[in-house]
Amino acid sequence: MTDIFYTKDHEWIKVNGDEGVVGITSYASEQLGDIVFVELPEKGNSFDQGKDVAVIESVKAASEIYSPASGEIFETNSSLEEKPEIINEDPLDSGWLYKIIIKNKDELKNLMSEEEYKKLIGA
Amino acid sequence: MSELINENISIEKTSLFDFHNKNNAKIVPFGGYYLPINYPSGIIAEHNHTRLKASLFDVSHMGQIEINGPFVMEAMEKILPISFSKLAPGKIKYTQLLNHEGKIIDDLMIHKTRDDNSVWLVVNAACKQKDINHLRDNLNKKFNINLRNDLSLIALQGPKSEKILVDLIPEIKGMEFMSSSWFRYKNYEILISRCGYTGEDGFEISIPNKHVVTFTEKLLKNNDVKLAGLGARDSLRLEAGLCLYGHDIDIEKNPIEAGLKWSICKDRVDKQDFIGGQAIAGEYKKGPQRNLLGFLPKGRAPAREGTLIYDSSNKLIGEVTSGGFSPSLGVPISMGYIISSFNNKKEVFLDVRGKKIPADIIKLPFVPHNYFKRKK
Repeated sequence: MTDIFYTKDHEWIKVNGDEGVVGITSYASEQLGDIVFVELPEKGNSFDQGKDVAVIESVKAASEIYSPASGEIFETNSSLEEKPEIINEDPLDSGWLYKIIIKNKDELKNLMSEEEYKKLIGA
Repeated sequence: MSELINENISIEKTSLFDFHNKNNAKIVPFGGYYLPINYPSGIIAEHNHTRLKASLFDVSHMGQIEINGPFVMEAMEKILPISFSKLAPGKIKYTQLLNHEGKIIDDLMIHKTRDDNSVWLVVNAACKQKDINHLRDNLNKKFNINLRNDLSLIALQGPKSEKILVDLIPEIKGMEFMSSSWFRYKNYEILISRCGYTGEDGFEISIPNKHVVTFTEKLLKNNDVKLAGLGARDSLRLEAGLCLYGHDIDIEKNPIEAGLKWSICKDRVDKQDFIGGQAIAGEYKKGPQRNLLGFLPKGRAPAREGTLIYDSSNKLIGEVTSGGFSPSLGVPISMGYIISSFNNKKEVFLDVRGKKIPADIIKLPFVPHNYFKRKK
């Protein structure tokens, strides 16, 4: 079974067992506008929760992505290298950024539920 | 302690503010005004539509200044590095207000009107007040400096602009590029200038505030016109290699190093008879210490303003002043200054988040200008 959590910085993480898939929300993708470049982390590197892990660049500006969970990156979405606009088209699914082995599932308590996130963005 | 500056920041709305909201614009504060950064179609679509057909931009934040008085052109020549006698009535010239060190206070368009006692200026929004102060300090009190807040300014830009505007004002057909004229439309007067800041053919239209919404809606009835915001305006001018004040040019830079030598009248430099003339003549003689150039970074990562530029031996040689993604070319592009002793090399390295990205040096613009040329 997959759970989904959100950060106040508009990232989502879908959790299945010890694995998580990370992306940005539709709200974030709309705010950023046309995405033209994504800098993804290296496979095998580890990040702490809340640390900057990737960069998404729209026509307007560069935005840091903060990891919703601590752990080791085991896969990145290589299709974004050539087609970063996939994030605009499908932010919640094929526009995912990276997959991570979650080090400490207790940390997920720091994140928001879908309901809480919707309240945050006023949806 | 009179040094304290009371910064009373208030953000103004243009006469098209409600119209922008009605068209679901994303509004941001810019140069003291609330303006659309883009509409729902997004910056890239708006950019491409401008190059392909035509877009309408609200540029009412720009300062439209009318200066009146006998021998106003002679008086303005003491301030600006241009020569009115070489300009036909009705022509527009791009120029800069300079300080005594030859540094740029603002860049602007000046119109030689058909009235000998009047000139018309279009200046940057954020510079309005300091420009007016500079003009007051350097012009005789007999001249009347009038900031025309009663007028809005809209820019119609793109290859289809003439075809679109002709439907409303047939007399604009065949107007020369960089020229302006007043036209009567319905029961009011509008100033139409064939110019712009996108690298495309186009018109800037000064129109009374109370008529601007109706006029804009009329233009938009033509399916070839779409609305575009500041985002597209910025990517268009960057592709066209045009300087943006506060970024590529500012009070620390002179027009020679900024590649604006073409806009300065050589006779005036020889005579050194304008504000900053001596400094500019010196710069002419010894050559600039740095130059504004274009860069094409390898890969897809944009190298934005503030990115440091290195040579192959890791020596710091300059800095990016404007950078982003070029929708027309589909690659990142940057503009910036590098020391002139480096000019003969072809490649530099741009430090993007600690990675040194190789970039080719190119001659501006990135995308060729497509200005209107009258058939002889």
